Amino acid sequence: MKRLRLERWSGQLLSPRTGPSSCLRHQQEQRIAGRRLQSTSAGLDLTYEDGEELLSEQEAPKTPRKREDYPSPPPSAAHQSAKLAALHARLSLPKKLPLQTMARTLVDPSADSNTRFNNAALAQVGGSIISYHVAEFLLATYPRLPMTVLFAAAYAYNGPKTLQLIAKEWGVETAAAPGGEVDPGLLQFSKIKPGQGLSLGFGGGSTRPDKKSWMRRGISSRNVYDDEFGDVIPKEDTSELPQATETAYSNFVKAVVGSIYLHAGRQAAKTFVQQHILSRHLQLSTLFKFSEPVRELARLCQREGFEYPVARILSETGRHSRSPVFVVGIFSGTEKLGEGAAPNLTEARVRACVAALKAWYLYSPGKSVRVPSDMEEANAKPWEPLHVDIGEIIH
Amino acid sequence: MTVQAIRKATVGQNGVGAFILQCKRLDFHYCDWAGSSKGMNSFLRHSLSKFAAANPQIEITVSPRPRKHPVIVGHYINGREKAICVRNLQKEQILQKAELLRDASGEKLKRVTKPVKSINESVRGVWSPYHGGGIHV
Repeated sequence: MKRLRLERWSGQLLSPRTGPSSCLRHQQEQRIAGRRLQSTSAGLDLTYEDGEELLSEQEAPKTPRKREDYPSPPPSAAHQSAKLAALHARLSLPKKLPLQTMARTLVDPSADSNTRFNNAALAQVGGSIISYHVAEFLLATYPRLPMTVLFAAAYAYNGPKTLQLIAKEWGVETAAAPGGEVDPGLLQFSKIKPGQGLSLGFGGGSTRPDKKSWMRRGISSRNVYDDEFGDVIPKEDTSELPQATETAYSNFVKAVVGSIYLHAGRQAAKTFVQQHILSRHLQLSTLFKFSEPVRELARLCQREGFEYPVARILSETGRHSRSPVFVVGIFSGTEKLGEGAAPNLTEARVRACVAALKAWYLYSPGKSVRVPSDMEEANAKPWEPLHVDIGEIIH
Repeated sequence: MTVQAIRKATVGQNGVGAFILQCKRLDFHYCDWAGSSKGMNSFLRHSLSKFAAANPQIEITVSPRPRKHPVIVGHYINGREKAICVRNLQKEQILQKAELLRDASGEKLKRVTKPVKSINESVRGVWSPYHGGGIHV
């Protein structure tokens, strides 16, 4: 299989244009000394903010613009920032990832709307990579999770709350207000003013085809229309309005992963996601919330061809006291499926059913199961099919 | 849809997967004139560049603090800071203090009585009087 040429992609996104330079361009370089350049590399390889309009434009500022005039710090400032260099070293990022790109990951679209200087594109790439690796990890490790729990588990691993926690654990601080003069090592975004309230972006509607708010939003449709956490995707792009701190931090983490992917490649990005996101602790059994566990277990036994589940008292104490305890086991034939203890028989049966259902749903072939992206390594062993579950018990 | 889900966030375990040094910034304050800063000034001239090169993950700032004793202040990821006054110390002693601040976690100092702390559930479980047969009296 032919591999993608990553360096070409990153060239398009990040580095200055490397085309042949004309004489006309040389003359114009003198006049437009005040323009924003995407890179600090001097010489012929200049990229202009609006390259197409260049020839027609006659007037150009004579004096170089001041740093404060730009909405975000210029790339040349990246090498002067001790904070940025320290952050780069703290994350043990590869040497290939330059400080200029690192500085760009810290500029939110709400600080600088120019897509060549903010992290929108990098965050888009990085967000897809993170959610891909989280999804393949969850699906391969816990193949029987119900969709709702799978969405919640994905949210727990790479939801905005978690990404914000990760960025704060990296020691990233926010700038009070964005501007050209701020230290490039600080996260720059325009903050929501107190009392303004969150604009959740639903005023303009969502990308879903259902027009009315009361229309049913089933779980299967969330797979198709909604994002990786089963949430609605707003139709309007609000990324240039003032942002919640959580959003800005999560975009930064995504952009870091995106920049690692573009500069150091797929494997480095995967390792980074494994080390920083998948290594975090989550007890999946605490994410479940059952409403009818007894019925669900009965349906499960019917579907799988087990005998009808029966609850039996295993032991009890203090039936006539004020604090009785019943231990109830739930049996299918002679097999015990689960066990629960409670102060009354009904609750004990429910707990036993919940234990049995969790044991079913949390089946795992092991933590070190191979995931599809392992196949992209050189000399990978042939793929062995993973366990694929039938699906939900009750829809 | 009888199974619903509760949204949570994962918990970080520094050192499992990746390790992030908790000290993010060290401020070195000195005085040009006072005698108590003699060791500090010598440290800044001769040892600081080597220390900074060996610890690139720490941001280092140097600033004068006239007519005051020399101080090293460490800033940590958990938001706390630790300050050590290094008056009248030699540059080797100051290096030790800087390394102490570098290696600190930023938490308040606590006496550790139990060496193992875990967020995982106990494998053995909590003792239950209703299991294991019981004793018939």
